[in-house]
Amino acid sequence: MRKALLYTLLVLASVVTIVPLLYMLSLSLQTEAETLSADAVLVPDSPQWGNYAELFTRAPFGNFVVNSLVVAGAITLAHLVFDPLVGYVFAKFRFPLRNTLFVALLATLMVPFFVRMIPLYVLMANMGWLNTYQGLITPFLMDAFGIFLMRQFIQPIPDDLISAARIDGASELRIYRSVILPQTRPALAVLGLFTFVFQWNEFLWPLVATTTPEMRTIPVGLTLFNQEYFTLWHLTAAGSVILFVPTAVLFIFTQRYFVRGIALTGLR
Amino acid sequence: MRPRTLAGRYARTAYLFLLPAILFFAAFFYLPIGNVVATSFRTGPQADQWTGLGNYTQALADPAVRHSFLITVAFSVLVVIGSIVLGLALALALDQPLKGRVVFRVLLLVPYLTSVAIVGLLWRNILDPELGVLNRMLGAAGLPEQQWLNTAPLLTIAAVTLWQNVGYTMVLFLAGLQGIPETYHEAAKIDGADAWHRFWRITLPLLAPTTLFVSVMAVISGLQAFGQAYIITNGGPGDATDLSVFHIFNVAFRARDFGYSSAQSVLLLIVIVAFTLVQLRAGRRGEVTY
Repeated sequence: MRKALLYTLLVLASVVTIVPLLYMLSLSLQTEAETLSADAVLVPDSPQWGNYAELFTRAPFGNFVVNSLVVAGAITLAHLVFDPLVGYVFAKFRFPLRNTLFVALLATLMVPFFVRMIPLYVLMANMGWLNTYQGLITPFLMDAFGIFLMRQFIQPIPDDLISAARIDGASELRIYRSVILPQTRPALAVLGLFTFVFQWNEFLWPLVATTTPEMRTIPVGLTLFNQEYFTLWHLTAAGSVILFVPTAVLFIFTQRYFVRGIALTGLR
Repeated sequence: MRPRTLAGRYARTAYLFLLPAILFFAAFFYLPIGNVVATSFRTGPQADQWTGLGNYTQALADPAVRHSFLITVAFSVLVVIGSIVLGLALALALDQPLKGRVVFRVLLLVPYLTSVAIVGLLWRNILDPELGVLNRMLGAAGLPEQQWLNTAPLLTIAAVTLWQNVGYTMVLFLAGLQGIPETYHEAAKIDGADAWHRFWRITLPLLAPTTLFVSVMAVISGLQAFGQAYIITNGGPGDATDLSVFHIFNVAFRARDFGYSSAQSVLLLIVIVAFTLVQLRAGRRGEVTY
């Protein structure tokens, strides 16, 4: 009886979360007439796979995809390079101003993006970086969350391991690359996953920092596309599916890491 | 020059490794924060005229700014309450030994992975008064059609936000629940406490740090909501969903008033930081230790 109640609650909640996304898939395969018909079409008569091709001819959707891949990919790569290095320094080195710098770093966590939005826009405009990849990428090259996550992960690695390598005459960079980095692989997986998914989905900055269709990322391209051709819901839905599929696939294979990542860090 | 002492050499290495990070955070966090404050004291189309606190006094007296702030707070409160109640209920259900727990967890978490662009466009379609699938289904079933985005716009976009984020709070609560030692419940069971009692007297108090964390995160993200207003309602109808960041965005990039929008950014930042500090403080004092 109690179990039945629990199952009912869970099934109901899952239906509410999943059915709208399934409807998005259905919408993406409908004809334009079906999306407008008075009776709600839940399953299209014959799936219009051509909608996906049409999307690429009606809008510079190919550009959107490439831009999203370049921007989210570059930012993820930068996080994977810099966050563990900085985390390692704060975990294992003693140096003047260490605590001050660490507090200054963590303080940036309290600064939401909208605060940086206007000055970054002015900065990028002055440098001529609006509507460029460097303009989309540079404000997100590192973040305090990733550094903090890596520091927490590196701290328990025994100091003796580092001392032994130093005695063996390894250079500091070599110690980092050969002793520390290989041990951080699980944390790097979580970091890479989170960074990619959040940057892939990012909306506000690409909206502010791009001015031509050719430079838009998928989320921004989709919403502006939708404003211009607001009745073309089948194409909007097709674009949404394309935006959603990579994160969904990534998530299916890594959901364990994902859940642990949220639980460990409460990341964003 | 090579530092002579070992400690000096390590310090040099540390700074060398930190250099990119120091430059990055200086250029893309501290410089912009300095700039937004500096710009907030200026006015004019080029934001080059000094106005002192002019933008601030204007913002504090501006009914549009006050309105957008108040509805942003209301929106955040709705999202926080919903996140806590639903997230906790789902976590409690999933904490039981049920078959298919992983499947449910995955299904409930999926909307959290979607972009606000997807969420906004999808729900704008579903909720559309004429075109929307929800009203067409209600119509087909002979039920009265609803104008959610007209009659309760703020509540509706809060519900959509909740739809996206409930899986996230559920995972956080689930982690909190799994941190509660089984022995507490067993001891209470032996003392004859029923499930209801055990929930109120053991589970809920022990979850206090998680609940605090969830509410801080939800309030902070609620106060920064943008995409929902931009994509679903365009701030309307009227100014009913003119959330603060959307308002700031419009003042900055549509009205091109960087000084006035910067001042509003700083005000909202002050509220967020103050709120975070108070919450963290309360959390530290109220934290249960064993």
